[in-house]
Amino acid sequence: MTGTVPLLRFLLRRERRSLPWWLLGVTLLVLVQSTQSQDLYGTAEALQRLRQTIGANTAVIAMSGPTGLLASIGGEVVFEIFAFAAIVVALMNMFLVGRHTRADEESGRAELVRSARVGRRTPLAAALLLAGLADVAAGLLVFAAAAGTGLPVAGSALFGAALAAFGLVFAALTAATAQVFESTRAMYGTVAAFLGAAFALRAAGDVGDGTLSWASPIGWGQRTYPYAGDRWWPLLVSLAVATLLGSAAVGLLTHRDLGAGLVAPRPGRARASALLRDAQALAWRLQRGALLGWAAGLLLLGIAYGSIGESIDQYVRENPEIAQFLTGGSDDILNAYLAVTAGMAALLAAAYGVSTVLRARAEETSGRAEMVLATGTSRRVWLAGQLSVALIGTAVVLVAFGLGEGLAYGLTVSDLGQIPRLAGVALAYLPGVWLVGAVTVLVFGWLPRAAAVIAWVVVAYCAVITMFADSFDLPGWSRQASPFFHSPRVPLNDLAVAPLVVLVLLVAALVAAGYAGLRRRDVGY
Amino acid sequence: MSRESAIAITGLHKSFGATRALDGLDLTVARGEVHGFLGPNGSGKTTAIRVVLGLLRADAGEVRLLGGDPWRDADQLHRRLAYVPGDVTLWPGISGGEVIDLLGRLRGGINRQRRDELLEQFDLDPRKKARTYSKGNRQKVALIAALASDAELLLLDEPTSGLDPLMESAFQRCIQDVKRQGRTVLLSSHILAEVEALGDRVSIIRLGRTVESGTLSELRHLTRTSIAVETTRPVTDIARLPGVHDVVAADHHARFDVDTAQLDAVIRELAPLGVRTMTSSPPTLEELFLRHYGEAPS
Repeated sequence: MTGTVPLLRFLLRRERRSLPWWLLGVTLLVLVQSTQSQDLYGTAEALQRLRQTIGANTAVIAMSGPTGLLASIGGEVVFEIFAFAAIVVALMNMFLVGRHTRADEESGRAELVRSARVGRRTPLAAALLLAGLADVAAGLLVFAAAAGTGLPVAGSALFGAALAAFGLVFAALTAATAQVFESTRAMYGTVAAFLGAAFALRAAGDVGDGTLSWASPIGWGQRTYPYAGDRWWPLLVSLAVATLLGSAAVGLLTHRDLGAGLVAPRPGRARASALLRDAQALAWRLQRGALLGWAAGLLLLGIAYGSIGESIDQYVRENPEIAQFLTGGSDDILNAYLAVTAGMAALLAAAYGVSTVLRARAEETSGRAEMVLATGTSRRVWLAGQLSVALIGTAVVLVAFGLGEGLAYGLTVSDLGQIPRLAGVALAYLPGVWLVGAVTVLVFGWLPRAAAVIAWVVVAYCAVITMFADSFDLPGWSRQASPFFHSPRVPLNDLAVAPLVVLVLLVAALVAAGYAGLRRRDVGY
Repeated sequence: MSRESAIAITGLHKSFGATRALDGLDLTVARGEVHGFLGPNGSGKTTAIRVVLGLLRADAGEVRLLGGDPWRDADQLHRRLAYVPGDVTLWPGISGGEVIDLLGRLRGGINRQRRDELLEQFDLDPRKKARTYSKGNRQKVALIAALASDAELLLLDEPTSGLDPLMESAFQRCIQDVKRQGRTVLLSSHILAEVEALGDRVSIIRLGRTVESGTLSELRHLTRTSIAVETTRPVTDIARLPGVHDVVAADHHARFDVDTAQLDAVIRELAPLGVRTMTSSPPTLEELFLRHYGEAPS
C-alpha cells in the first residue's frame, strides 16, 4: 500500500476546514447535555422522579435509549444524548469515507491520484485511517467533555470508546457501500438508510424487550451502559463488525475497475412521460423528493409530539419550569401544548416554504431558468409553477404534522376524531406560513442577490419570537412584526377568521409585488 | 412583415454596474441566412443574445426580434425560436431524453422522427441522467432539442465549444439542412473557421461594439492564409508579389501569409517552381484581431 502516509496527510489537509466542526458538534452535544442534566436532575429525588415519568413514556424511550441507563446521572446523560451524538458521528464518518472514495472516483480525481505511485488499495486505506483518527479524536473529546463536567472517569472513558467504536462501524459500512454503487448519491442514500434503520431498530428494541436493539450499532453502543454498570464487551461486537465490513470493502475493491460499481446505475427514461409537459410539471418533478422528505419528517414530529400529549399535563405539573413556555400557563395545559407544537410545525413549514421559493433563485443563477424562459414560457407562468409547489407544499407538510399528531394523540386517548381536528388546527397556521414565503417572493423579485439572506433572517426572527418572546419578555412591537403573531393560537384560542383573511390578502399583495419586480429585472443577475 | 429582418439591433447599450458589456452594438440578421456572430470571449456575444431573448433589458438602443419587441412579447416570440446557451446546465436528476422532450413541448411541439435521427447522429444516450453528462453531452442535449424543433430562428451561442471534431461535422451538416429549409440561424463563435464554413454573413464584435459586418467575400480582406511550401527550385522573389506578408524563405523552403484575395496569383507563381509539399492553414481569430485592431483578444 504504497503512498498511504502522504495520501493520509493530504486527506487531513482537505478536511481541515470541515472536520473540526463535526468534532466540535459532538463535543458540544455532550457538554451541554451533561451540564443541563446535572442542573435539572442532580439530586437523587429528581432522578427518581424522572425514572417514574420517563419509564412509563414509550415516546421518550423511542427517541432516547434503554431505561436501564437511568440508574445514575451520568447514565441519564448517555440516555438522552447518545443516539443523537451517534447520528452526528455516523454522518461524519459517512462523509469522511465517501468523499475520498466514491465521490473522488466519480469526479475523476481518484484517477489522477491512482496514476501516481499509489497502490490500488491505498486511497481506501487512507480514507479509513482518516475516519479512524477522527473517531479516536471524537472519543477522546467526548471523554474530556464528560469527565470535565464532573462525571465519573471510568464511565466517561467507556462513553467515548462506545461512540468511537460506533463511528468505525459506519466508516467501514460506507467503505463497503462505496464499492457497490457507481454514484455518490446512491452510496450516501444507502448509508443514510442504514442509519435510519439502526435508529428505528434500537427504538423498537428499547420500547420492547430489547432484542431488536442488538441488531443496531447504536444499540451496541448504548448497551455498554456507561455510568450504569460499565460493560465493556459490547465494544467487541462493534469492532468485529467494523473489521468484517472493512475487509469486505477491500475484497470488493480488488474485483472491480476504477469508477465501476457492482450495481449499475439505474438509467432514466428515454422519453419524457406525458406528465412532464410544462414549467409547473417540471417544478413539481424537481421538488417532489424534498416535499416527501419534509412531509415525512413533520409527520414523525407530529407523532412524537402527539404521543406525549396525554401525559403532558402530568409532566408540566412535575416540571413547573416548562409551564413558562406555554402561553396559557397551566390552566389549559393540553390545548396550550397543542398550540405550541402547531406553532413549531408552522415554523418548520415556513422554513420549507422559504427553501422552496429560493429554489426559483437557484434555478435562475444556475442558468436552468434561462433554458425554460427562452421557450414559450413567460416569467409569470414560470414563477407560478415554482410558487405552486411552495403554496401547496407548505399545506401538505402542515397537514402531515397534524395527521401525525392527531393519530398519535388520538390513539392514546382512543379518539380518532383527533386526526381531522388536529389536521385542521395545523392548517389554521397556513396563512402565516405563506406570509413568510410571500416575503421571500418579494425580495426575490426586487433584491434577488440578497433574497436568500433576507429570507432566512426573517425565518430566524420568527423562530426567536415564537420560542422566546414570552420567556424573555420581548417588547410588543417586535412580536407584532412576526407573521405568526397574527395567526390565531388554535386550539388554545378560538379560530378568528378576520386575521386569516388579512394575512391571505397580504400574501397576495406581496406575491404580486414580487412578480412585478421579476418582470422588470434582468434574469440571471 | 415577413420580409423584416429576423433580428435588428441598433445602438444597443447594456451595463452591469460599472461594467459596460454592450457599447453601441449593431446587428442585422436577414431571414433565411446563417449569420456568424464572431468575437473573442468576453466581447459581449452572450449578453447580446440574452437581450435578444428578452432575458436582459436593454439600457438604450433598438432591438427587434422577428418583427416584435423581445422584452414585451418575449413568450409569444419564443414560440418561434430555439435557443442553445453557451454553457448548458441541466437538471441533474432528469435524463437527457426527458429534457429534449420537455424543451420541445415548452416550445410548442417536437418532431419525434427528427429527434430520434439526431440522437443517432450525435451519438447521445438519452437514458442517462443529466448529472452524468459531460459538457459536450449537455450541449448535445440542448442542440438536439433545438434542431428537432420547427422553430424559424435558431439562436446558437458557441454551440460546438464542447463537441469533438466528429460531432462538429455532424453539427455542420445539420445547420446546412436547417438552411435549406429556409430557416434563420444566428451562430455565435470565437472560431473564425467555423463561421466561415457555415455563415452567409458575419458580424464581428469587439468590446461590445460591432467592428465589421458583411458577407464573407466582403470580409475577405480580413482573412489571410498561412502557407508553408517546399519546392524543387529555390523560392526567390515571392515577397515582391502583392498581398504577401511575413516571408521566411531559405533555398527550397518558404513560409508566408497571403491575403485571401491574392491567393490565386501566388499559387500561379509557385507552380512553375515545382511544388513538392504545401500546407495551408486559415488564420485564427487571434491573428486577425492582432493585425486589425492591434491587440490580442483577452
